[in-house]
Amino acid sequence: MKVKMISRNPDNYVRETKEQQHKMPRNYDPSLHPLEGPREYVRALNATKLDRVFAKPFVANLSGHRDGVACFGKHPKQLSSLATGAYDGEVRIWDLANRTSIRHFVAHDGFVRGITYTRNGEQIFTVGDDKTIKVWKAQAPEIGDEEEPVNTILSRYGLHGISHNRKENKFATCGEVCAIWDEEHNDPLKTLKWGVDTLHTISYNPVETDILACCASDRSIILYDQREAQPLRKVVLTMKSNKLAWNPMEAFNFTVANEDCNLYTFDTRKLQTPLKVHFDHVSAVTDVDYSPTGKEFVSASYDKTVRIYNAHHSHSRDIYHTKRMQHVVCVAWSLDNRYVFSGSDEMNVRMWKAKASEKLGVIRPRERVNFNYQEALKHKYAAHPQIKRIARHRQVPRHVLNAQKKMRTVKEKEQVKEANVRNHSKKGKVPYVSEKKKHVLKEEV
Amino acid sequence: MSDDEEQYDPKAHKKLLQAIGSLGNVQHIQKSTRDERQTRQDEFQLVKSVSSSATDRAPRAVGLNDLVQILRTSTKHSQTGKKLKNVQSSKKVLEKPLEKPAADRIKRTIGYEGVTKKLGRWDAVVAQQRSAETQVFPLQSETIYVNTAANARALKTSLKSDLAKELEASNRKLRELRKAQIGDTTDEKELAKKERQLLQKKLTRDELFARRKELAYLKMRESQKSAKERMQNKIKSKKYHKLQKRQKMLEQMKEFELLQKTNPEAALEKLNALEKSRVQERASLRHKNTGTWAKNLQVRAKYDKDVRKDLAEQLAVSRELTQKKQESDSEDESSRKRAALEEENQEDYDPFNPWTKRKSADNKEGNENAEGEGENWRQYWSKRNHNEKLLEEHRRDMEEEEESEDQEEEKPIAKPAKKTLKKSKVKMQNGWTVEEVEPSVAPKSQVKAPPQSLDDIFEKHDDQMRAKLTKKLEKLKQRVDKLKAAPAKSKKAKKIKDALKNLKDLELKKTKQRVEIDEPLNYGNEQEEPSQKIPPPVEESKETPPLIVDTVDPNKVTTLVFTQKKTSRSAGGIGDALMDDDAADYDDEDDAAAAEHQLTVSQAFEDDDIVADFNRDKNKDSELKNTELQLFMPGWGSWAGAGISQEAVEQRNKRLLLKLAEPEKRRDDNKDNLYVNEASCKKAREHKVSSLPFPFRSLADYEASIRAPIGRNFVPETAFRMLTRPSVITRKGQVIEPMDESELVKPNRRLRHIVDKRIQRIPVVPAKEAKAKN
Repeated sequence: MKVKMISRNPDNYVRETKEQQHKMPRNYDPSLHPLEGPREYVRALNATKLDRVFAKPFVANLSGHRDGVACFGKHPKQLSSLATGAYDGEVRIWDLANRTSIRHFVAHDGFVRGITYTRNGEQIFTVGDDKTIKVWKAQAPEIGDEEEPVNTILSRYGLHGISHNRKENKFATCGEVCAIWDEEHNDPLKTLKWGVDTLHTISYNPVETDILACCASDRSIILYDQREAQPLRKVVLTMKSNKLAWNPMEAFNFTVANEDCNLYTFDTRKLQTPLKVHFDHVSAVTDVDYSPTGKEFVSASYDKTVRIYNAHHSHSRDIYHTKRMQHVVCVAWSLDNRYVFSGSDEMNVRMWKAKASEKLGVIRPRERVNFNYQEALKHKYAAHPQIKRIARHRQVPRHVLNAQKKMRTVKEKEQVKEANVRNHSKKGKVPYVSEKKKHVLKEEV
Repeated sequence: MSDDEEQYDPKAHKKLLQAIGSLGNVQHIQKSTRDERQTRQDEFQLVKSVSSSATDRAPRAVGLNDLVQILRTSTKHSQTGKKLKNVQSSKKVLEKPLEKPAADRIKRTIGYEGVTKKLGRWDAVVAQQRSAETQVFPLQSETIYVNTAANARALKTSLKSDLAKELEASNRKLRELRKAQIGDTTDEKELAKKERQLLQKKLTRDELFARRKELAYLKMRESQKSAKERMQNKIKSKKYHKLQKRQKMLEQMKEFELLQKTNPEAALEKLNALEKSRVQERASLRHKNTGTWAKNLQVRAKYDKDVRKDLAEQLAVSRELTQKKQESDSEDESSRKRAALEEENQEDYDPFNPWTKRKSADNKEGNENAEGEGENWRQYWSKRNHNEKLLEEHRRDMEEEEESEDQEEEKPIAKPAKKTLKKSKVKMQNGWTVEEVEPSVAPKSQVKAPPQSLDDIFEKHDDQMRAKLTKKLEKLKQRVDKLKAAPAKSKKAKKIKDALKNLKDLELKKTKQRVEIDEPLNYGNEQEEPSQKIPPPVEESKETPPLIVDTVDPNKVTTLVFTQKKTSRSAGGIGDALMDDDAADYDDEDDAAAAEHQLTVSQAFEDDDIVADFNRDKNKDSELKNTELQLFMPGWGSWAGAGISQEAVEQRNKRLLLKLAEPEKRRDDNKDNLYVNEASCKKAREHKVSSLPFPFRSLADYEASIRAPIGRNFVPETAFRMLTRPSVITRKGQVIEPMDESELVKPNRRLRHIVDKRIQRIPVVPAKEAKAKN
């Protein structure tokens, strides 16, 4: 008698050796998954919602300053230390891991205008309103010893900013003139002038380290080369630029924070039009700093908010604000691309996550895979209206909303006016001017 | 003379006077020495020069004139003096330098140009970084890893102390001395060996016992193992043996791999041996009818005629293969002839050689010949048959074409004819160029006649191609002319060279496009959109070049939706939530065609009665609702059999008549050329994308990107990992340094991650091919 029964080929499910792992049989035939699209869509929707649920960017508040925070200095090697200077001349060094101030001293009379670490992070240079450059040890002095600067350099000119070269032992200050200094000498190696009253910010290019840029009080941005005897070029915008930051991954791009609520990204080789105009702030933008990956930057504004932009987009990707945060004066992006620091008028330094919903702490591999999947899904379905709506929804303070409304009205009015003029004038007499071209007045050679 | 006078010392007096006189000259403030590099002197450091008071006395600088004056005095040099004078008067003076602002401007321009050039170096790196799908930060700096262990030298230090070394040396000396003096030949090593042997011999009783035990144990193990082997051989489980075999195979493979790494030559030999054994096995024809295929066939052969035939064929083939090839000679005459010829040629063959040997050799040759010939012959015939078949097919096609063309119009034939005339051959004959003009417009019958060779066909094809080419060229020329005719204004614009051209050129197209949302965030519940109060531009401004905006035209979609409904394959619910599912049925070709020809719906469906179809489809939805359903089933309910009163039946039937609701009035009832899709879900609408998101240029691309699933339930694990790789990877607690100059000359990153490696191995498929595949 023959017994018939269902039989399977053992090759399909028996391991060849003991060491092999059991296979999880899966049939990827698309005809067996008719709802794969909708399922993924729902997953994407849920991921987006969860993203907003977990979006809690505020990490910590570092309090200790007795006056508004004026400037930041990032340690080039250590992620856990940050130096901040205040309006009353006090400098504080923070231990970010423990969220405490580990050291503080009064460095200057009046404002501390700029702080920078040396290349190896062993010394701190500060400039203040008292026309001095002071050099401090990054290590706290022994207990009982007084805080004393290692060196004090009296400058002939007023000082408004300082920036350190990333590869050489040189630094540059700005004020009445742009001066290039050597760490070893008490006199500047070079002073560069271009008939401007005040230069209020200076920044070395981190990639091409010979190039540096200043923002001047005559609404211009001036480019310098530290090897040349003359400045290189000047661009005049419609309003004053407050701060300038170079892209650390794209040597030729830099972004300026402007008084007219916008940020402008320029290519050094083509200064007559900015590459991108970044909108969204409703008051003067006071500071800007690039993420170390060069993909994004963070900006601080007088409208009491911090915004994060994609470097190639004209609208912000996120906005950070708290009830108690006043005018934000300075901002910095941590060197591990995870945190953002903001210093504001009301004496506090705040620490934010660069990605609002990112999980802090240890992430297990399976969790990581899931996060990656969620991220990929969000990107895939980013254009779908519901997902877009949820992902881009933000609550903002009322004053920001009101200001936005006002700005919109003004803009509309201008547009209407322009259109009217165009309609009632000879053809081609009122040309269409792109938004990019409106803001640059001239490029001076 | 007074004492004073006596004491007068002229020397001392003079000294005194000098001291008094020099009082005014001495500089009390020392001139400062510079200890710092500085470009500008401080005012405090400026000191009155010693010689400043004596400037008037100091001789002025010597000029050329003075020289000339001196030279004039002597007659000997007067000539040179004159020459010098001439030189001074005749030579031009250097031009006045530029004014400072202008000079500065030039300097600045030069400096800026240098900087732009320097910055231009980064174009390639930046472009590459931007287009990279995944970026890992911090960027790997140039670090060279050297395996220091491989080159490490052994330590030279020894553990022997100095004293031990001295002792050894002295011992050696002593031995040598002995050798020389007494002839002592005892070898230290030999002695040691002997000693050891002696020691071994002297085993104690206990040791002996232990040794015996050990031996017994070993023997027992051996016997156990052999027993196990025997038992294992008796095991009948096939699975067990299969597993065993596989394990052995795997082990062998591993060994082989190891061998490959350590000793490639031996590995090669082993490989050869394996191959040989395999070949021998295959050649033994053991597998003639023992394979699974053959076995299956044997089972089925009982019932299936065809299978029986197959099996017989297979056996025949095997027989043929095993048979000695003798008949093949007789088959091929020519080969036999050649063999005969060869025999004749080999008349001088040594007759003393064994006959069989010669014959076998001959035979072999013949066989080879026959085989080679046979194959050639077969190849030739198969080729020829194939060609003929193709030819005939082509001819048939041509005829059909001709006929259809004839029916339609005669013009298209004339065109290629012209072309052929043009390109007729030109020959040189006795210095004359002779054009062979052949009227290639053949009468119909001639066309129908079979062409002589394949060449004709090819030529014809060539002509057609050429005609097409010329047409295209003409078009191109026209376009070029147009461009040339464009106003000079554009030329001027071109002159301003784009500083970022290089960067733009270098920009690569991303293989995986990602949606980029660059819109303002939406704040709170404020939904009011900027009211469009801006008056529309006057008609005149319409003349500005039309912007090609690649968005989904709603009108187009609605019209096409309907037309495609009949032909399209079902979307399978994939696109439901994603897109207007009907719109999802565009084909790439359709898209392209639409872009090219701008086919209108009516043109495309000229012969179909599209309006009727349209109306039918419109009514189709409402048809079902219009009917009444009879739920009555014969026999059901009439349990008592026939003979129930008609009234009761009717009553019951009336109850079982399901009356559907009145057909709803369609929104497009009165509009002939409008179709409102009422079946589409209104709730789903708010989930659907209405316009093409930014980086995508074609609807098909976007749909493809949406349609491909990325979840691990739908794609294999590796693909899942590849698809979900984040675009930026950073590590916690690591400082990301700005880009370094080493990035400019760095070779490609060595990939560590398996997914990266796999991605790199994937061949880059050009977009067009990918489209074609779709």
